[in-house]
Amino acid sequence: MSPEQLPARIRRWLYTTNHKEIGILYLITSLFFFVAAGVLALTMRSQLSVPDNHLLSADLFNQFVTVHGLLMVFWVLSPFAFGFANYIIPLQIGARDLAFPRLNAMSYWFYLVSGAAMMMSFFFGGAPDLGWTLYSPQTSFKFTPTIGLNLGAAGLILIVVSITMSSVNFLVTMFKMRAPGMKLKHMPVFPWAILITIFMMLYAFPSFLAALLLLYVDRAFGTFYFSSIQGGALLWDNVFWFFGHPEVYIVLFPAIGVIADAISTFTRRPLYGSKYIIGSMIAAAIISFIVWGHHMFVTGIGLTSTKLYTVTTIAVSLPFDVMVIAMIETLVKARVRLKAAALFTLGAVALFVIGGITGVYLASVALDHALRGTYFVVAHFHYIMVGASIMGLIGGLYYWFPKMTGRMYNEGLAKIHFIFSFIGFNILYFPMFLLLDMPRRIATYAPSTGWAALNLMSTVGGFIFGLAQILLFVNLFASLRRGSISGPNPWEAWTLEWSLPSPPPAHDFDTIPAIAEDGTYHFGNSSGYPNGSGYPNGSKMGNGTVHSHLEGQSPWPVVVAFAAFIFFLGITIGQPSNPSVPVTFQPFWPLVLDGAILGVIALYGYSRERFSVHEETNVESWPFREVPNVKLGIWTFLGAEVIFFGVLIGAYFFVRTNSATWPAVGSLFEVRSGFAMTLVLLTSSLTAIMALVSAKVGSRNGLMASLFATFGLGVAFLYIKATEWISLGANGVFSVANGLPATSYFITTGVHGVHVFAGMLMTLYLLVNALKGRYLKGDYHAIEHFGLYWHFVDIVWVFLFPLFYLI
Amino acid sequence: MGTRKKQETQKMAFSNTEVVFNNLFSLFTYLAVLVGVIVFALMAFLIIKYRERKNSQDPEDTPRLGRIPIVRGHGRNVLITVSLSTIILLALIIGSFAAVDTLLTPPNGTWCYGLYPGYGAQSPLNQDCPRIDVTGHQFYWEFSYPHALPHAPLYTEKYVFRVPKDATVVIDVTSADVFHDFGIIPFKIKTDAIPGRVNTIWFQPYQNGTYLIQCFELCGSGHYYMNATLIVMQVPQFQAWYNST
Ligand code: HEM
Ligand SMILES: [Cu+2]
Ligand SMILES: [Cu+2]
Repeated sequence: MSPEQLPARIRRWLYTTNHKEIGILYLITSLFFFVAAGVLALTMRSQLSVPDNHLLSADLFNQFVTVHGLLMVFWVLSPFAFGFANYIIPLQIGARDLAFPRLNAMSYWFYLVSGAAMMMSFFFGGAPDLGWTLYSPQTSFKFTPTIGLNLGAAGLILIVVSITMSSVNFLVTMFKMRAPGMKLKHMPVFPWAILITIFMMLYAFPSFLAALLLLYVDRAFGTFYFSSIQGGALLWDNVFWFFGHPEVYIVLFPAIGVIADAISTFTRRPLYGSKYIIGSMIAAAIISFIVWGHHMFVTGIGLTSTKLYTVTTIAVSLPFDVMVIAMIETLVKARVRLKAAALFTLGAVALFVIGGITGVYLASVALDHALRGTYFVVAHFHYIMVGASIMGLIGGLYYWFPKMTGRMYNEGLAKIHFIFSFIGFNILYFPMFLLLDMPRRIATYAPSTGWAALNLMSTVGGFIFGLAQILLFVNLFASLRRGSISGPNPWEAWTLEWSLPSPPPAHDFDTIPAIAEDGTYHFGNSSGYPNGSGYPNGSKMGNGTVHSHLEGQSPWPVVVAFAAFIFFLGITIGQPSNPSVPVTFQPFWPLVLDGAILGVIALYGYSRERFSVHEETNVESWPFREVPNVKLGIWTFLGAEVIFFGVLIGAYFFVRTNSATWPAVGSLFEVRSGFAMTLVLLTSSLTAIMALVSAKVGSRNGLMASLFATFGLGVAFLYIKATEWISLGANGVFSVANGLPATSYFITTGVHGVHVFAGMLMTLYLLVNALKGRYLKGDYHAIEHFGLYWHFVDIVWVFLFPLFYLI
Repeated sequence: MGTRKKQETQKMAFSNTEVVFNNLFSLFTYLAVLVGVIVFALMAFLIIKYRERKNSQDPEDTPRLGRIPIVRGHGRNVLITVSLSTIILLALIIGSFAAVDTLLTPPNGTWCYGLYPGYGAQSPLNQDCPRIDVTGHQFYWEFSYPHALPHAPLYTEKYVFRVPKDATVVIDVTSADVFHDFGIIPFKIKTDAIPGRVNTIWFQPYQNGTYLIQCFELCGSGHYYMNATLIVMQVPQFQAWYNST
């Protein structure tokens, strides 16, 4: 796998770790998925244009409706926004790249392969066909015995991994790498929106990951979380929507950031009440975690709780209200330049108002008894997701296109694009509000329902909207070569990215800007800050210049992602497609092994590669001034892990409280062995501390001994665990009576065991290096980082022990 | 279905639940249109008034490269916005609570006049008024009626759901397989049909006729045709039918 064997252009894109190139990869890939999902949508609209239509079979229609939703939500909206975030945010905060450039590349490649897995599901017995919300128990193997759904779940797991990596990365970057003097409050709204989005991602996606994991294990191993009545529909509803509502804001907020900044630029005025806009976003982000019940108004969760969720949901409309009003007030005494980017962003605000107001309808538990599951809901969330998010992001595309390419797009064509998009959009979606009797996700309907006219109108609008997008692609593509030269700042905007040439050079800033107390910013020595210090990512060359793109390249991110892809294919596609009960685990071993081996090699190569990321010394990093990048990364990662285990434990509580009977203490799991494991793990926490102390004082032997002891205790723990697993398995613990106790025990302790195992691999790695004399004295950080992780894993066990063995 | 009928008797509602829905929906819509019109008018006015003209100039505080823009905006305006919205939203919350109380609590001492022989107009209001079980299957609805005689087996019918006009009909909805959702379209009422759970709703039909029932949760390849017909009949006809079962 030597880099020299590939043509330079391909190699450049495969191996790049440069945030701008990765940003462009994200943008292009998300637009590709946008077109793919759009084609599915237009096919569905054709099918629905007239009653009793059979253009699409019901089976295909259900697959299309599901994959359309999944693609748009996960593979289009967020990656589109994160394409901009990758490209623009380091420029806006005066950083030369993200904190972990290779991790960033890996996020992208995981995103790409996850999408491939999702698309491939069409060819493995049919794509997922039960709606993007994947309601249980229909996801059970019994009701949906297709590999396609497993593959879809695998795709989702991979994209959650991608999203988690990139949120850790962005968080560290934005907290730790801002230009000197750039306080958080100096950031434009777009980076703020991304920052808030990342926090939501960090706390929402682990819930989804846990849900997917339980689903996957149910389907591949025949466990009972979702196939049982005690878990089943409501367990999924809770864990899915706990993630799902924050998710709808996750796909919206970046667009709000784009809209706000573009409005400020094109009205030539500072944003009105920008701090209230940001404060409102924070408020909405927090409230978004306590409104999920509004998706369960008619599941029978009780009158009182539905009323509470009505209040929280209606309350969440207030911060959005503030945002919209602030944006409109910005227009007062302004000088509005109606460029295409301005039209799209102002148009997005208008559509968002309609989407938001109709959201309040759905927040009413009383109205939801009629509106739930109808086209009214479809209209509502498309006004938000397409009207606000997609239109806003397209505005962003026009806004930043000159920055990214150095060329202007064709303004006239872009305006025509806006007019057709806006009119087409409303013809497409407004009729759906009037279709408030029509069930969503039905493949066809009878003429007697009287829904035909509105459906036809909607389809016509759909084609206007869809075809209008061709203008976008034609315009951008043609302007790449033929557009007039834009210069660094065609919009006369104030944010930092416009101070650079268009497109910016590989290393972005020749000198990192510095913001003075009075809010002016300077480049170069005049500010008294050091000039030209800092390296572009991965480059061994100083002076802030990269001479060729070869520097800062790494082959490993793409290889790791590819290995993960084959691994998941392997464990997925071996399963036979018939609902044989009980389900047995049947992976396709050659692929599994290939993936695993390749993965290990790639991770090893990744860790051994001499890829230095220079940490600027002069940076603004409130509130985490003292914490170095990696440590902050680990802390945020552990925050996500807390939610992940929290959901697993919550699921256990859920099925346990719903079960009439549960085996008595000590009857299934032996208290003694649980106790032994607890002792072993707690001791290993001590040895991990000893390792750190030895490293700090420089005792190589002490370090080796403590690491070795930690490793040994890990082995002991897993040994006891394995004996317990084997004896439980041999006793046929998965009987119907013990199905749920066994399911929750095996999954929860299994996931924990995997964490222990991962920790042991880390100790091995550390041991090898310690043998070579590393980590002593000032070099102790890796030991400290490992310790954080290891203590966390131990703490989780301290919770699991009483939950499974003592109560 | 009810479309033609709807034209004939424009003002008459089909059921109590429809009345509840229509009233609340109108309240929401009046306020929504009010707010929407104000916001859109304001936006259009501002954009037109302040659009860039040949001789217009940048405002004094135009943000420029090289300087973080000034912070502007009054907390007072935010407060006014939030307070005004809160008043509107409170009205909506109160209206919704009243409506959902009606929707989810059958009238005291469930009044099942005419529903079954033996539960006549004169009989005491009876809490134990029999309910009808509705069960979702892939891909049909099944309706089980309690029999007049104690301990007799339930009478079960697929696809067709018969109830007498003006009776208070209480139904217990569940599912035999996957997640469905039982909705009577013209009555604007629905509830989820979930395996292992029973969700109860009620309604009072005001008019004879047939009404479309549909599943509102994607439940598989036959979801789109998972419907049934609700037939509302005069009490004597219902009793005659019921006695014949
Ligand atoms: C203004 C504040 C908002 C309110 C009050 C609101 C309220 C609601 C409610 C109550 C539902 C449940 C409807 C039902 O299941 O019958 C819903 C559905 C939905 N909303 Fe919103 N929403 C708001 C904003 C958003 C935003 C910002 C997005 C996305 C960017 C969004 C996307 C969705 C989606 C995708 C669904 C459909 C869920 C499904 O498949 O059942 N909403 N909304
Ligand atoms: Cu929600
Ligand atoms: Cu259905």
